[in-house]
Amino acid sequence: MENVKISGIQLFLLIIGFLFGSTSILTPVASAKNDAWLAVIIGGLGGACLVWMYVAIAVLNPSKTLVEILRNRFGKYLGNAIAILYIWYIVHFSALTFRNFGEFIVTVTYPETPMVVIIGIFAALLVYAVNSGIEVVSRSSELFVPLLFVIIIIISLSLITTHDFTAFLPLLENGIKPVLHAAFEFATFPLGEIFVFLMVFPHFNKKINNLKKIAAFSVIIFILLYLWSIFEYLFVLGKDLLYRANFVPHIIASLIPNSNLEPLIDIYLIIGGGVKISICIYAAAKALSQVFGISDYRKLVTAVTTFSVVLSVWVYENLLEMVEFAQKVWPYYSIPFQIVIPLILLLSSYRAKTD
Amino acid sequence: MFWKIKTLKNIVRRSTNNNSANNNSDNQEKAEPIPKSINAVKSKLEDIFSECGDLIFREIVCNSKLKLLVVYFDGFVDKRALNQDVMRPILDHFSNEKPQGKSKRISELIKESIVNNNDIKETENIKQAVDNILSGEALLFIDGEDKALIVGVKAPQGRQVEEPDTEVSLRGPREGFVENLLTNITLLRKRIKNPNLKMEMIELGEQTKTDVCICYIKGIANEQIVQEVRDRLKKIKIDAILDSGYIEQFISDSRISLFPTVGNSEKCDKLAGKLLEGRVAIFCDGTPYVITVPHLLIETIQASEDYYDHAFFTTFLRLLRLLALLVSNLLPSLYVAMVAFHPKIIPFKLMITIAASREGIPFSSFTEAILMTVTFEMLREAGVRMPRPIGQSLSIVGAIVLGEAAVAAGIASNLMVIIISITAICSFVVPPLIRATMLLRFIFLAAANFLGFLGIAFLVVAVFIHLCRLRSFGIPYTAPFSPLTAPDLKDSLVTVPIWAMITRPRVLRPESGDAEAGIKRQEVQIKQ
Repeated sequence: MENVKISGIQLFLLIIGFLFGSTSILTPVASAKNDAWLAVIIGGLGGACLVWMYVAIAVLNPSKTLVEILRNRFGKYLGNAIAILYIWYIVHFSALTFRNFGEFIVTVTYPETPMVVIIGIFAALLVYAVNSGIEVVSRSSELFVPLLFVIIIIISLSLITTHDFTAFLPLLENGIKPVLHAAFEFATFPLGEIFVFLMVFPHFNKKINNLKKIAAFSVIIFILLYLWSIFEYLFVLGKDLLYRANFVPHIIASLIPNSNLEPLIDIYLIIGGGVKISICIYAAAKALSQVFGISDYRKLVTAVTTFSVVLSVWVYENLLEMVEFAQKVWPYYSIPFQIVIPLILLLSSYRAKTD
Repeated sequence: MFWKIKTLKNIVRRSTNNNSANNNSDNQEKAEPIPKSINAVKSKLEDIFSECGDLIFREIVCNSKLKLLVVYFDGFVDKRALNQDVMRPILDHFSNEKPQGKSKRISELIKESIVNNNDIKETENIKQAVDNILSGEALLFIDGEDKALIVGVKAPQGRQVEEPDTEVSLRGPREGFVENLLTNITLLRKRIKNPNLKMEMIELGEQTKTDVCICYIKGIANEQIVQEVRDRLKKIKIDAILDSGYIEQFISDSRISLFPTVGNSEKCDKLAGKLLEGRVAIFCDGTPYVITVPHLLIETIQASEDYYDHAFFTTFLRLLRLLALLVSNLLPSLYVAMVAFHPKIIPFKLMITIAASREGIPFSSFTEAILMTVTFEMLREAGVRMPRPIGQSLSIVGAIVLGEAAVAAGIASNLMVIIISITAICSFVVPPLIRATMLLRFIFLAAANFLGFLGIAFLVVAVFIHLCRLRSFGIPYTAPFSPLTAPDLKDSLVTVPIWAMITRPRVLRPESGDAEAGIKRQEVQIKQ
């Protein structure tokens, strides 16, 4: 284990940046229409349980990465096999985030630029960051992620005149079912993905118990901010536009009267997406190096990123397929990785602890 | 590129090997003692200093038994002091009296009871004698003894202490360092009257034998950093050190980064402030620029005046400097990106103005910006290099005429002239980063022309990642913002008054905890 330490505030900002990664352009709860806020609350609670589970695993296995925990619990061969599945999942997941990013830029700002150019340059930047080490990633996030708060506040304040505060009525217009579905989506789309941090937690420099506080704090801040954003989307756009629009935050930003703040969303996306993908790449490269016993994960970063970029270009035909996948397939695809295996890990590490 | 770096490394390795071979031969020379007869000494020295017309040998015969030889470089020593304090007492003593019994050696007699001069030492080998002659001392050889006396009668050399041209301040001391090492050290000792102010002398440069001095305050400076400075200086094997800039390039953490990780200053009060914060200074003989390490990004927007003035003004000025830094880097590229990629962001009325001013211009805004920026950089460089009387006026006139004429001739738009001028003004606000911004500006322009705002954003992120990667003597370059060191934010963008700056910068002592005893800068005074 390289001797790199991450401070509490860095971890907090990394988690916030990670959670805002793709939610800066996609809205996972949009399918619940005017009950989206309810979905955020329910899904937030569910997601918080998931995050609590990951943190509990980290606390029960201090200074061990996900791969090491898997090997400890399942034995060398099965553990490695599951770890490889996880690596695939993380790489796939970073490819999807790359694609979100590229699709957004190509659709909104640069319709004539090939997507692979934009994704490629972004990837080169992230390879530079991750190759410099997790410390540099977290320190950069310390400089950039606070901008996210500023952008969110600027956008919401400048839209305050266009709010329709009754837009969330009537309550539960279509019954509870779509709300629960959207809540499930929200729990797995940004919140459940925190499991990637099981590769980062061992670098935390304070006592492992502080981890709980920081994780709880960051998740609560995220859910509150997201709730605020969803209300704002609802109040500004109304339920139908919220449901139909592909890139809600972008439309919101372009509705600001008398000025054009669209580039703010680009910045928002670069910061959030950058943190998210670099954490994923780091986790995948680190896990790969541990599975195959390679001393330095840096040798794998370029390879993993290249693979992820290629996958991101291949994985969908077009934007609609991407949205469809993110809403319909991704939550179920994630169940084993985000819920089932961590649950087994938690139970078995708990049993090992009590024995 | 990697191949090049590798070959460079090989060259460096080879040169260090050669140097070590030279060192061995030097060591053999060192062992050589001084011959007893002064004729032998003279012929030896004449051999070493052949074709050195400015070396003066003076043989003195005091009486039948005592012969002396004085050797020095003409112009290097204070002749009056040599004659009055050294030669006259010796001559008086030995011509009037008969030499006393042989209980004492003559050299000891001269050293202890005859010569008036305070600075007098003995040496026993030729190498040391030669080194001292070269550094401007007078050497006194005595016939029949294998010891020589080094008499320190160095004449004061170089210019007077005056206000530095490069760092002007409205408020505060005006003394700047000069080329003479000893004068500089005196200037510093005058300000910090403390026996803990340590000066470690070393010699660098195989040919020039330049005196270099590591200076720090014991108990305030971080021992690890001091040790690191010593180690890095020891590794330097080079022919000549003509300026502290040579040392700067050798001891920088990142040798290819655009951003300076080693600071320099020629103002005494600024240096004293840095030392009192716990930094280490490196004096180098022959240059007024003193190096300070570790040098962090935040120091580029700090000025010595900041601490003499009211904290509100300082805060405002700091923010202004930060803004200037951003503007001087980004303004031309933002303009190019806006015109070329994102015209809909520009408010409608402004867009009409821009379109009107760009009408009839044959170039793209990118070409225009590059042309104007290059022209400005040339004017600036010419202004620096030209003889001072014509330089300044010519560069101003050149800029006005060129700007006006370029617009009138339809080569550049009015708006572009304004933008480049603002950029130019802003680039002078933060002097330590002038060179970095100069190059970054072009890279940002290229990025803006390539991908618009997105390109600029990517590059900004890349620059910040690079900054986060950088370290200066083990201290993160972007501290205190990242890693966040809350107690040090008091002297960053927002400053607090000097009576509220209770602790010394904590970033310079990463190991020490909060309870560090030496960390207090002042006692807190609670007013009744």
